[in-house]
Amino acid sequence: MIKIEIINGPIEFFRNEDSRQKDGAELIFNGRVRVTENGENITALEYEQYKGMAEAELTQLAEETCKKFPIHDLFCKHRIGRVDVGETSLHVVIWSKHRKEGLEAMTWFISELKKRVPIWKWAILEDGSRIPSECAHG
Amino acid sequence: MININVKCFSQVKYALGKDELNLELEVGATTLDLEKIIREKANGKLDSVSLRIALNQKYIPHETELKDRDEVAFIPPVQGG
Repeated sequence: MIKIEIINGPIEFFRNEDSRQKDGAELIFNGRVRVTENGENITALEYEQYKGMAEAELTQLAEETCKKFPIHDLFCKHRIGRVDVGETSLHVVIWSKHRKEGLEAMTWFISELKKRVPIWKWAILEDGSRIPSECAHG
Repeated sequence: MININVKCFSQVKYALGKDELNLELEVGATTLDLEKIIREKANGKLDSVSLRIALNQKYIPHETELKDRDEVAFIPPVQGG
């Protein structure tokens, strides 16, 4: 099963579940906003999405991940709008029988997200100016 | 003539100073024709930016003929996460 949410506001983490009996691994990844972006101090990032396409691409990617790796569930929340330094912008949870496939699935999912989901960052600098981030991820 | 809605994001939005453009093009115009127009409007600010094309909210790998009321986005490198 997958769950995908794009949220304008603080992320509420997915609830821990102690009822799962088939999954030996629960992987949680939280991406947070660093204080520097391209070597400059920032106060926040502002995430911009292509509304509609971003959620569709993220959903398709989650489905591909579940087919490519033997994992059971993948839940993902991505924040848009202003995210202050230190706050969570991306929250992903993957459940799998063993850790290996879960770790591989998590790495692949996040790498692909950074290549194809139409979401961008604007850096909010200390003087309040707002510029597109030039930070490119491989 | 055909009417095309161009959505602008990130560096494209920054270069053009607009969220979107509504353009009238000749019948038979393609995504490549439109990309040239967008790059010209940016006055060189997009020269070093690689752009993928989304047509009606789906990535397309090749030059495609546009139809009336198509929605096009030129997608600069994405940065989610």
